[in-house]
Amino acid sequence: MDIEVAEERSDETLILLPVGRLDSANARSFEALVMERIAGGEQRLVIDFSRLNFISSSGMRVLLIAAKKLQGSSGTLVLCAMKEHIHEVFRISGFDRIIPIKDSREAALVVAG
Amino acid sequence: MTFNDLRVSVAPRLSGVGSVSRIVEEFADANGLAAPQVYAVNLALDELIANAVSYGFAGVADPRIEIALRVDDDRLVLTLTDNAAPFDPTRHAGAADIESPLEERSADNLGLHLVKSVADRVSYEFTAGRNHLTMERDLAVAA
Repeated sequence: MDIEVAEERSDETLILLPVGRLDSANARSFEALVMERIAGGEQRLVIDFSRLNFISSSGMRVLLIAAKKLQGSSGTLVLCAMKEHIHEVFRISGFDRIIPIKDSREAALVVAG
Repeated sequence: MTFNDLRVSVAPRLSGVGSVSRIVEEFADANGLAAPQVYAVNLALDELIANAVSYGFAGVADPRIEIALRVDDDRLVLTLTDNAAPFDPTRHAGAADIESPLEERSADNLGLHLVKSVADRVSYEFTAGRNHLTMERDLAVAA
């Protein structure tokens, strides 16, 4: 199953907006998309969660892989606009200490850029 | 039977999690459950169904997963029953890594860590050839 992902650009930063659910059924399709963009040269990535209602550990694993990959090439991954119940899951996973999370896309673009 | 007691047979494959989540959302609407409660149930279902489908059904001729969800006074009770290989998440020794720096971080065991974190109580028994996992959340507790 594929996840719907909108893509936008702000200067050198690519913004991905996954829609709906990022779960064990579609995490692989999201991983394929993100890794394809990184392999294609994207170094500044913002993932905007404003249209995402659900994420499980399968989706978080993809973010971890992407963050490691980008760190290895001095790139950046920034997350933003999370609903509170999703933000809570990032806190209890300790992901908030390894991947920057901003309230707004504007703040994320400042960090990514 | 009222709609505060839901039973669903879930397709034993990863795509089963999406359709069961919609049924859970209908149940939540009918029972006035808040978004964090719905998220906790759907998160547990995604993690547990993915575990069973990915690791539990090798050699099982007729894989089955059933869920039951009910509002019981001030508790939300989710039970997942399957005929996968016996697996007790409450005794599962592997701890999730929630401390390491990015370059050393692993996502292993993260799913079960999340299930235990969003539940107020988790209990397990293996009877009649089936795993029975029960997760409870107190509805009075702010999420």
